[in-house]
Amino acid sequence: MTMMRYAEALNSALREEMQRDPTVFMFGEDIGRYGGVFKVSKGLMEEFGENRVRDTPISEQALTAMAVTAAMSGTRPVLEIMYADFMPLTLDALVNQASVFGYLWEGQVEIPFVLRTQGGGGVGTGAQHAKSLDSFVAHVPGIKVVAPVTPADAKGLLKAAIRDPQPVVFLEHKLLYNMRGEVPDGDDVLVTIGKAKVVKEGTDVSIFATSKMVLEAEQAARELAKDGISAEVIDLRTLRPLDIGAIMASIAKTHHAVVVNEGWTFCGFAAELSASIMDHCFDDLDAPVERVAMPDMAIPYSEPLETAMLPNAAKIAAAARKALA
Amino acid sequence: MATPVKVGVAGGEYMESVVVLEWTVKTGDAISAGQHLVTVETAKAATEIEAPCEGFLTAIFAEPGTEVSLTETLGLIGADTADTAYEGDEPATDHAPVADEASLQATTSEAVSAAESLSPPTPGGRTVASPAARRAAAMAGIDISRITPTSPTGRMKLRDLASATIMRAEIPLVPAGGLSANEAGPLKVYLSGTKTGIPVLMLHGFGADAMSWFPIERALARAHPIVRMDLPNHGKSPRRRMTRFADLAREIVDAFDALHLDEVHVLGHSLGGACALALADIRPRKVASLALLAPGGLGPVINGEFAAGLARASRPESLEQWLKLSVADTRLISPEFVGAAMSSRVDPALRAAQAQMANDLFPDGTQGFDLRPALQRVECPMRVIWGKADAVIPWQQALSAPGRAGLHLFEATGHVPQMERPEDVVAILEALFAASGGKQ
Repeated sequence: MTMMRYAEALNSALREEMQRDPTVFMFGEDIGRYGGVFKVSKGLMEEFGENRVRDTPISEQALTAMAVTAAMSGTRPVLEIMYADFMPLTLDALVNQASVFGYLWEGQVEIPFVLRTQGGGGVGTGAQHAKSLDSFVAHVPGIKVVAPVTPADAKGLLKAAIRDPQPVVFLEHKLLYNMRGEVPDGDDVLVTIGKAKVVKEGTDVSIFATSKMVLEAEQAARELAKDGISAEVIDLRTLRPLDIGAIMASIAKTHHAVVVNEGWTFCGFAAELSASIMDHCFDDLDAPVERVAMPDMAIPYSEPLETAMLPNAAKIAAAARKALA
Repeated sequence: MATPVKVGVAGGEYMESVVVLEWTVKTGDAISAGQHLVTVETAKAATEIEAPCEGFLTAIFAEPGTEVSLTETLGLIGADTADTAYEGDEPATDHAPVADEASLQATTSEAVSAAESLSPPTPGGRTVASPAARRAAAMAGIDISRITPTSPTGRMKLRDLASATIMRAEIPLVPAGGLSANEAGPLKVYLSGTKTGIPVLMLHGFGADAMSWFPIERALARAHPIVRMDLPNHGKSPRRRMTRFADLAREIVDAFDALHLDEVHVLGHSLGGACALALADIRPRKVASLALLAPGGLGPVINGEFAAGLARASRPESLEQWLKLSVADTRLISPEFVGAAMSSRVDPALRAAQAQMANDLFPDGTQGFDLRPALQRVECPMRVIWGKADAVIPWQQALSAPGRAGLHLFEATGHVPQMERPEDVVAILEALFAASGGKQ
């Protein structure tokens, strides 16, 4: 095990995969000479050269189309989109090309590319640089979507995503890059895409979250424990394909569910979780599913207002209490 | 009926209260609609409150200098100078300005939606229960309409079936020194079923209670009067020490005599089966038929750990293990079932009494009483029903039954055939009852 920051864990995943497979290459805005806005690709251009770590102009639409065609041509591109807020610009290549080509050509073509991006609020970056658009991509069949919270899962899932034959959208969170954690050593330590993880076992209520919301859920669980409420925290890690088995197992035990997502409430990923729980666990539910997500409005630049809007531990704990009332 | 004067929206949308500065009229004055009556101070400014209608000012409730909420009544405008009758804090009448109406409606609809979010709808007056509570109730044979929900939402939850709460509750350990109480009083008896016909007397097994007959009680109750009894130290019956099986048998016979029944079909399970057999031996002319489900007393072998462990189990986790031992298909022992079973075992005095009883009746893990001679003496129609996967009392003990008894041995069935094979058991019993019509 090595203690490292989330950004360092991603960096080592990229380095190891590029060492392992010469067809892996990266491109994006300011990822080469500058090392990436969040320093995820620091030192990689020096090590692998300008052909495999490419700085590009600002055109997310062109970059994504490039990634799809490069993947079809036998390489494994890793594209960085600086902010998840810019994902709408990538959608044609993702939704009309990458996600359906395998189907249109009857599996004769693989699209092994990774779109890395980061979203989320909490640092006053305003309405255009703080969104969580998880559901935009998780909505689309043919695309896998992961959102790890720990450095270990970040590394293991990124390596798995690079090796995956399907397009994978890899969602990071700007407030996670400095989080430290133990990361297993070894070049082939992968984390399986589509597997949730029980972060904390509990018996009274299940809290399902991804990315930074897992940390909020864990904090909520500690708050609830003071009142004798035993919350189980499940880090879904993958949004699509969803690990419904892990969800069912937890609800069969606790009979209460709180679903958390930093994206908007209406049509958000939390809504999908809630509906899936209703589909699979209805007879196990002892209360309606509680949803904790972002109110339906633009994210304010003002930090106090932003803080008031973001889903957090207090809101998750309140939702758990409401479910258990 | 007088019209109240209120601040309403004039108080400003961010304010909870205002301060009364000055009344420009006095009681008894004639008032025209829209006339300036009183000036109040809000955060923003001094605001004039106008008369909502014409009439006479008949009361001033809020004197200058007092702080009032936006909904309080400042004064009254009556039809004449003596008209002071009004309805407390009723919302403004249709004399109120249009803006007032709109704000009232907004407030009301907010209040309604808040209430809706807490209280689930009750379509057609049906009981509202969570899906999990509804399923658990169905499994336990509980009528949810008779249970009072504890949730502020008014929705029945699992815990209302005495499961979730029990599972979380701190359950005290069995007091050291075992049984102390020696309560007097008759055994608890439950009556159900039809009014006529030969009653079916049901005697439950060790560690259970009269409610444990739910898998077959309802089916039998359609055609027979049902009499269920809680054994001593079980359910709602008194706790008292019995050092020998004969003491227990005496209790059952006494309780039976007190019912003044001419004739009964007797049905007993496990330890209750031993009691049923003893009753049939002691009161042979009262017993129309005898059905024994995995009965005790037919051999020395018993899983002594089962009786002791079941009696001592103070937590759902430990109880679950023993309950699972009693069935072949452990899927029957769901968390809801364990919760329901645990809910009847919360009282540490009950568990202590049962632990003592297990020790007295099954010393050294042995059935300390032998009813095989009594079994040979039974003359009424008799059936012995056993599961061949019984891990508590070996089914081979059924073979000591006399040739005239009917034996029913079920494959892949544990110690509680009435739970694992309810339809079969009911069919066997109905055939037995039909074949032994009694003296009528």
